[in-house]
Amino acid sequence: MKYELICGLETHVELSTKTKVFCSCTTEFGGEPNTHCCPICIGLPGTLPILNRRAVEYTVMAGIATNCEISTISRMDRKNYVYPDLPKAYQISQYDMPLCRNGWVGLSDGRRIRLTRIHLEEDAGKLIHGRAGTFVDYNRSGVPLIEIVSEPDIRSVEEAVEYVEKLQMIMRYLGISDCRMEEGSLRCDVNVSVRPEGSDGLGTRTEIKNMNSFSHMTKALNYERDRQIDLLESGESVVQETRRYDEKTGCTEGMRDKEDANDYRYFRDPDLIAIRITEETARKIRAEMPEDPQKRLSRFQSEYALPEKEALLLIEHRKIADYFERAAEGLKNPRSAANCITGPIFARLPDENAKEKFQIAVSAEDLNALLRMAEKAGIRENLVRSTLEKMLDTGKPVSDFLSKEDLEGVSGEELKKFCRQAVRQNPAAVKDYLGGKQKAIKALVGAVMKATRGRADPQKAQLVLKDLLDRG
Amino acid sequence: MVSKQEIARLAKLAKLYVKPEELDGLTEDLNRMIRFADAVATSPEKGSAFGGFDGRENIFREDVPHPSFRRDDILKNAGSAEDGFFLVRHRR
Amino acid sequence: MLESRELSCTELTEKYLNAIGKENAALNAYIRLTPETALETARRVDEDIASGRSLSPLEGIPMTLKDNISTKGIETTCCSKMLQGYVPIYDATVWKILKDQNAVLLGKTNMDEFAMGSTCENSCYGGAGNPHDPVRVAGGSSGGAAAAVASDLAVYGLGSDTGGSIREPASFCGAVGFKPTYGTVSRYGLVAFASSFDQIGPITQSVEDAALIYDVISRQDPMDSTCTGRKTAVVPDLGKGIRGLKIGIPREYFDNVPEDVRKALRNTLKIWKSMGAELSEFGMPSVKLGLPIYYILACAEASSNLGRYDGIRYGYCTPHYQNREEMVCKTRSEGFGREVKRRILLGTYVLSAGYYDAYYKKAQDLRGAVIRAFDDVFQKCDLILTPTVPTTAFPKGRTGGDPVENYQTDICTVPVNIAGLPAVSIPCGSGRDGMPVGMQLIGPRFSESVLLNAAYRYEQETGGEPYRVKGMGVDL
Repeated sequence: MKYELICGLETHVELSTKTKVFCSCTTEFGGEPNTHCCPICIGLPGTLPILNRRAVEYTVMAGIATNCEISTISRMDRKNYVYPDLPKAYQISQYDMPLCRNGWVGLSDGRRIRLTRIHLEEDAGKLIHGRAGTFVDYNRSGVPLIEIVSEPDIRSVEEAVEYVEKLQMIMRYLGISDCRMEEGSLRCDVNVSVRPEGSDGLGTRTEIKNMNSFSHMTKALNYERDRQIDLLESGESVVQETRRYDEKTGCTEGMRDKEDANDYRYFRDPDLIAIRITEETARKIRAEMPEDPQKRLSRFQSEYALPEKEALLLIEHRKIADYFERAAEGLKNPRSAANCITGPIFARLPDENAKEKFQIAVSAEDLNALLRMAEKAGIRENLVRSTLEKMLDTGKPVSDFLSKEDLEGVSGEELKKFCRQAVRQNPAAVKDYLGGKQKAIKALVGAVMKATRGRADPQKAQLVLKDLLDRG
Repeated sequence: MVSKQEIARLAKLAKLYVKPEELDGLTEDLNRMIRFADAVATSPEKGSAFGGFDGRENIFREDVPHPSFRRDDILKNAGSAEDGFFLVRHRR
Repeated sequence: MLESRELSCTELTEKYLNAIGKENAALNAYIRLTPETALETARRVDEDIASGRSLSPLEGIPMTLKDNISTKGIETTCCSKMLQGYVPIYDATVWKILKDQNAVLLGKTNMDEFAMGSTCENSCYGGAGNPHDPVRVAGGSSGGAAAAVASDLAVYGLGSDTGGSIREPASFCGAVGFKPTYGTVSRYGLVAFASSFDQIGPITQSVEDAALIYDVISRQDPMDSTCTGRKTAVVPDLGKGIRGLKIGIPREYFDNVPEDVRKALRNTLKIWKSMGAELSEFGMPSVKLGLPIYYILACAEASSNLGRYDGIRYGYCTPHYQNREEMVCKTRSEGFGREVKRRILLGTYVLSAGYYDAYYKKAQDLRGAVIRAFDDVFQKCDLILTPTVPTTAFPKGRTGGDPVENYQTDICTVPVNIAGLPAVSIPCGSGRDGMPVGMQLIGPRFSESVLLNAAYRYEQETGGEPYRVKGMGVDL
């Protein structure tokens, strides 16, 4: 019997606001333990939360970018449970009136993964388990999180990965989060169940936690799917539970010390006031948002005459797309900018993280200057490349490497001079050519290129050389 | 009437430890209080949802960092702390 | 207020500290004294006077704070074992305001643990006694503040009121107790009991003092999203005539009120009439459910607010345990008193799955009904008059048996907190046992000017003597 996989994801994204969601402590990553804290985020008696406007705006942006309805009225609620990383013994979150509802994320095959809701909440502190006991650091306590809940629309492990990658790109594009799984600014819990192919209804699902990278997620979901199919095939049933992915074994395990379902006793937080997002507010927030990546992809193809493959490489990271547009400004052939980026620049960015950070020595303006000069003076592509490499190595501007002479190129009398010099200095090649080896002229062209440091046009040089040699 | 087991379950949820000899008295007290509260549960009156005084909306704080408190102060009242962390010993 | 030349601030402060030294033991109004802070501030004020600077109204005045108001560097325990030794690292906003005005803090006052109680007997420091008769309760939960003010061991005190905790002890001790409109005084730094009910307010020896203090502490606070501050100042309106002021008397508040208290309230009516107020009687049946509505909602909020006490970041921690679950449960069970634990359990119950709709949600809806009922009444009258408490202060040791019995003391005060209204209790005679009787005046939200002015006019009309036990306290 063939089974199909059903997945829904709950994704937590840490927002990159400057301050925490309910107090003015910094959200900067790292820092010595308990040095980014105040009475509010450690829950001292008598303290009260004050809602960060930017966190609300970022949440609305996330909703707009994923086609959600933005709730006109939205409220904050208390989710009550006891755990050492939760200073107030309740998390301020949103229960029945979230900021965003009913959106979707499109996959490359055209299918849509529906989003039930996106809401704003606060993060807990960090626990480190040691021999003496549990060590608690509240630096992270109070950092704003958005929780993105999908419907169980995902049908394969690959789709799950693509969905999260899409979310990552959207959030990074908006500039509202780094979305780095390894750093914890993107966390996924996946609900997994299986059912016989072609049947309706949903099987019993398990929740998988603790996957800290895409490869963990892939391994975990594959394992869990197979485990559930195994159970059903042998006549057993799947137990509804929360399971933890163990990276050492590559398996999911039932979480022993998770108690039976917690009664969170949600109720309206009396310390916080209702949030109203009017059409006007939503419009203002939308105006602040950058262009949607899908639209940008189409535009790169039409406006800059880029083939889809190349355009995809450029729009994947917003910094790179922005860089390209600035570097391509005013060029007759914007593709040259694209080539510089996907060629020499990408060669220096070894992985996705490096591409996301996009720290290179040449500014878009400097690259633009180089390319404009190249267009104006008709500089050869290989000279452009070698100059760019030098600029990337040193961070120095174009003017340090291309002199007036370089820009003027080599032609006319000067070219003839170099050609005669090449003929004089390479008698063997000349003899070969005159003896019938047409290809020997390449060596002479090479010599001219070397002598002019690439400034000459090889095709013109070849013509001049031929002329010289043929005429004697 | 709420049973002793129910009270014990509530106590666990509220992270309160009830000694066996206390459970009877506590159950009796809670039952009196719940019976008292039943007047609300059984009232025929509908009322109208209370969403806060004066219908206020949109009270926010701007996203500007202020210096955090010194760690010494943050840890000042902790029962046990080590290396800058709050420490919850496994057992004592 | 005196100050100008008769007495130096330091001398005044010393007089109060001496009186406290002699008389506090019998009353247990203060549970922590802060003589160094007090004298340091007094010296500063004297220097300022000497340099010729004029003082603001509250400057240099010896006062107290209820022990659930956070004072940086000064132990704040809410009179609970759970917070003994807890020293806040920040100041409550109201204290910051008064500190900046050089208020002279004599010490922290006794209270029912976490503000849960109406007699001050639920305190880890033992109860506070009533200055008129120390074998009787001072009231609660701001019992210590009321006892201190009524015995002139302080000029004024700040207390907190969630279901009557300022007004009831003021009534029992014969002082003025004022609970402002919810949202006009910041709660930042007030250890939370029930967030949508709690308000800080003054307990004083005169209505004028209460008005003065209110005007100073009722500022909008960015640290408290529920705090808008006051709309208008009260002091400038004190003394205005009240001819034509419509005072309503709701019948239900006089049910089950013993004859002596009823008589004292009836006597006030003559005085109101003589000042030109128009009195009317009416029914207010929706208010009968006030007590259960209050207890459901307040205990629910409390069960959540008190969840944080687990011994990790501050406060009491149980000395022996085998694992973390045991640590948390034992800490809370050993740190909290019986009444606190009962209320946490009730709160947990009404919020838990299966009971939320019938109790918590229903109570929230009925809260809306109570608010509307008051709105309707205030269409027809300007203020409402009721007894503050159906009885006078009773002997200590009476509470214990049935928790619900104890809640009946709050019957006239809780509807005010449900609707977030301002209310003041002023002494209006004595009961058969010679103990003070309190009259409660209630106004619509933000009507402090009308409310306190009316109370002020009544006070002036009946003698204007500051309310304090003769022969006690400071002899000026």
